[in-house]
Amino acid sequence: MRPFAYARAETEAAAIRAVSAGGPGTRFLAGGTTLYDLMKVGAEAPERLVDINALPGLASFDTGGRRELVFGAGARMSDVAADPRLVAEYPVLSDALWKAASQQLRNMASLGGNLLQRTRCAYFRGGEPFTCNKRAPGSGCAARDGIDRGHAVLGGSEACIATYPGDWAVALVALDAVVDVAGPNGARTIPMEALHREPGATPEVETSLARDEMILRIRVPATQLGRASTYHKIRDRESYAFALASAAVALRMEGEVVREARVALGGLATRPWRARDAERGLVGQRLTAEAARAAGDAALRGAQPGHHNSFRIELGARTVADALMIARQRA
Amino acid sequence: MSDTAYPDAPRIDAHDKVRGALRYAADEARPGMSHAALATATVARGTVLRIDLAAARAVPGVRLVLTHEELAGLKQPGFLMGGGYGFQSIQPVTSSRIAYRGQPIALVAADSPEAAAEGARLVRAEYASEPHQVTLDAPEVDIVAQADSPLPKPMFADVTAGEADTAYAAAAIRITAEFRHPPQHQNPIEMLSTVAEWRDGHLTVHEGTQNAEAIRHGLARQLGIEPARITVRSPSAGGGFGQKNSLQAHTVLAAEAARRLERPVKLVVSRAQIFHDSSFRPASRHRIRLGADAAGRMQALIHETDSQTSRHDFFPTQYTELSARLYGIASFRGRERLVRTDVQTPGYMRAPYEHPAAFAVECCVDELAYRLGQDPVALRLANDTTTDPITGQPYSSRHLAECLRRGAARFGWDRRSMEPGSMRAGDGSLIGWGVAIGAYKAATAAAIAKLRLSADGAVTFSVGGHEMGQGIRTAISAVLVRRLGVEPGRITLEIGSTGTTPQHLTAGSWGTATTIPAAEEACDTLLRALEALPSRPSPAERLRAAGRPHLEVEVSRCAPGQPDAVMGRLTSGLPAAIGPAYPGYVSFSHVAHFVEVRVEPATRRIRVPRVVSVADCGRVISPRTAASQLRGGVVWGIGAALREVSEVDPRYGGFLNADLAEYVLPVHADIGTIDVEFVDEPDPQLNGAGVKGLGEVAMVGVAPAIANAVHHATGRRLRELPIRVENLL
Ligand SMILES: Cc1cc2nc3c(=O)[nH]c(=O)nc-3n(C[C@H](O)[C@H](O)[C@H](O)COP(=O)(O)OP(=O)(O)OC[C@H]3O[C@@H](n4cnc5c(N)ncnc54)[C@H](O)[C@@H]3O)c2cc1C
Ligand code: SF4
Repeated sequence: MRPFAYARAETEAAAIRAVSAGGPGTRFLAGGTTLYDLMKVGAEAPERLVDINALPGLASFDTGGRRELVFGAGARMSDVAADPRLVAEYPVLSDALWKAASQQLRNMASLGGNLLQRTRCAYFRGGEPFTCNKRAPGSGCAARDGIDRGHAVLGGSEACIATYPGDWAVALVALDAVVDVAGPNGARTIPMEALHREPGATPEVETSLARDEMILRIRVPATQLGRASTYHKIRDRESYAFALASAAVALRMEGEVVREARVALGGLATRPWRARDAERGLVGQRLTAEAARAAGDAALRGAQPGHHNSFRIELGARTVADALMIARQRA
Repeated sequence: MSDTAYPDAPRIDAHDKVRGALRYAADEARPGMSHAALATATVARGTVLRIDLAAARAVPGVRLVLTHEELAGLKQPGFLMGGGYGFQSIQPVTSSRIAYRGQPIALVAADSPEAAAEGARLVRAEYASEPHQVTLDAPEVDIVAQADSPLPKPMFADVTAGEADTAYAAAAIRITAEFRHPPQHQNPIEMLSTVAEWRDGHLTVHEGTQNAEAIRHGLARQLGIEPARITVRSPSAGGGFGQKNSLQAHTVLAAEAARRLERPVKLVVSRAQIFHDSSFRPASRHRIRLGADAAGRMQALIHETDSQTSRHDFFPTQYTELSARLYGIASFRGRERLVRTDVQTPGYMRAPYEHPAAFAVECCVDELAYRLGQDPVALRLANDTTTDPITGQPYSSRHLAECLRRGAARFGWDRRSMEPGSMRAGDGSLIGWGVAIGAYKAATAAAIAKLRLSADGAVTFSVGGHEMGQGIRTAISAVLVRRLGVEPGRITLEIGSTGTTPQHLTAGSWGTATTIPAAEEACDTLLRALEALPSRPSPAERLRAAGRPHLEVEVSRCAPGQPDAVMGRLTSGLPAAIGPAYPGYVSFSHVAHFVEVRVEPATRRIRVPRVVSVADCGRVISPRTAASQLRGGVVWGIGAALREVSEVDPRYGGFLNADLAEYVLPVHADIGTIDVEFVDEPDPQLNGAGVKGLGEVAMVGVAPAIANAVHHATGRRLRELPIRVENLL
């Protein structure tokens, strides 16, 4: 690990100023569960860290608002996951947090930091001798002809097929969340769906945030859809594993008929992946097993298999279908 | 013989463990201690042309950088299976040759672990790479028949009995199949860690190990000093599972750094480096041909294996030592081959041969049951034996049938319907019930033990044995409590550290069968000596009455059939164990596993809600830690069958998923109920205590029971591990 300077910011403005003035090697630090890990494997090498854990109010969250739910970027995953209102009225949000990482990690990890976690691609994390366009732009992509069992089948490019590993962002994308950010030039609001980018020719650029922009909070429009929702996650073990395939699903039903549907995919794509075709196909339909399966197929349409990951296309479609049936039972 | 069962007693180090009071090697700290880290090779095979150390040396706090240029004078450790002490024959950082990716190329010592790690990261090497091969299927890979290799015979000759090929060709029912097992890594929680300290020319090494004596003698050889000038301390190791059964590659590097710096050095090998810096379970491939008559009597078994080894060592295999003995099959032919690859030398990971061998054979036996339309338990019972098919000798004890019968009753096996896919849970999951058996040689090692009773009632006992968490301290205490009437709190056990008695390798499930008979014999000797003293109700009172401050006895014990000369091996840190064939009989432990799996209807996740395991390990000395061993073995089997694979990218060599997040070990949430039971019948021949072994047999047969249950649930025969979602979609 390279030596780095550490400072604790007292206010939002001071934190942003410190990161902005510190230059390219300066980063925000929240729970550290991603950042320190990446520093240890050499994938990140910041010179300065600005700790934002003491910022007043950053860890607060309010799930009782009539118009929206508000989550401070510093709120801990474990606290939010256990919120009784979230558990009852927005299971998709609560599940997405519960099913992520481990209890110890969730106790440390912040919601803002969670959004910005980086891929688990072993070639990216491993460093030398692997080629990786994300770690060393232009060096090549070792995963393309390598062990790509966990790599993306949606949204990949010639340059990179790394999966976006997070769960929480997938649930947020399904519920049309937005992210409030602030930087040296002021504040702005980014739709959650526009926060993460596909790799294209520049896989090292992962989000639409500027380096010195801080996530302040995440807002989710209050919606009836929350109740009949689920985050269904299929992984290699029952806990402490990233998704092989996951689906965030929310429904508004009238009897047997779907009036409104939200479907987003996790673990399958290079970014949190909203499946609008699947949603459109469901509206106005009776939610039978066949309709759910058709939605699954629609969600995975256009998926590109590599060498070892083609099973995750079928798995993804089945995961979506199962998620829809779970959500329907909650309607 | 212990003719009554031992009572359930708590693990004697449980409180210390929970309180964090047990000290492991990496807990050692010394004033002025330096910390070391390793830099490793990034090519899979080749030569180091140049090493640039300027950046590493410039890191503040770095005190020393060692490369092969400085360490060329260190001797090689010799390979454990070739008369040496090391897990492999070569010592990294003593030459410019690179045998595998991840091989250490330099050691950096600094004032802090962080500075050492940073220094190691900044070591820059240029290599001349050579073509490499890292998989069983690599083009033009070199495959060597073990029978034609320089490995010692008859130990590593092919196992045969009868005329297997003829009998197979003539059999009414023939099953043939190929099975594959991936490489896997042990990952004990305690990392490979060493604190090395020189004082007045004497080296003390603190390192969690299963073989302190091999570290001591191996280091002596490598450093060119007398073993008497080395002490190795390993009072408790945080898990071993075979990974810590010999001299590791990093130990001498820490010792050498400490010598040069004239200060203690701590070296903790990182998790990622452990995947490349110690042994692992090699990839293997098994071709089985099983012949039976129309009634289901198994007549012939042919088991051919290809198993990964390194290019620099032949890590021998003995898969067929087990497969030949699971049943009373008259004709058997084994053939074992080694596939030379560019990796560190693989080694003994829990049930190293027996688990993959049982996976292959027991899946075929299940297939036979289905071909015959016979109940899988009944078929196994009908093919049981009391005679070892290879030597023709009787088994000293074999309660396999009892394991099967008791297990079937506990599990409720009679409610099973034979047809695959015929049992369903309320949520639509397919239910599968599977069974398989396992066995493991009941080996024993030579031992020297010292027992001392003080007039104040305290007892000190020393014997060759290491506590890796398996419970050896608890088991030894149970015997001393029973024989001497002493309170557990008054017992001091000196095990795992060299100096008092030879600290022989604790592995191969011979720990209990080695230390317990030695403890019994020491107690006998002590009690006999006490008989000369005035009669009093307790041994300590007799001592006091005689005015003696203490009484000490020493016993040396060879295993049955071992020549006295084996003591020379014992005292020089070489393996001194024997089994399963003893003069006049053959000894194995046995187990039967019954597994329920549930397979999700659509997404096909496999869950294991319930396992029943019944073991025959002779007399159970410590019921609590024994149950824990058996459950742990089942957890290992679940991991091996459904989760674990060390991923290999042939282009790069080495292992890819080298951390605990990506190497998928089972977690608590993966484990349902594991219901265990013991036959608890003392073996009448192997030793006076009636003890066989348990730690390894516990795992044998779990994987095929799971695979057979998956077949029962789905109708699919899956012959490559691990079995994952993609295999059932
Ligand atoms: C072994 C392991 C398993 C895991 N499994 C899962 C899983 O199954 N599912 C899942 O979703 N996640 C998983 N995670 C990821 C985990 O959820 C994240 O590590 C965690 O949420 C990150 O939060 P943090 O507060 O620790 O972020 P940090 O590590 O502090 O920061 C992460 C990144 O975000 C930046 N950052 C942090 N806060 C802000 C802010 N407010 N504004 C701008 N930038 C900011 C930092 O500069 C850094 O780049 C796992 C992690 C580990 C280590
Ligand atoms: S998939 Fe992306 S992150 Fe992985 S090696 Fe290729 S470029 Fe790097």
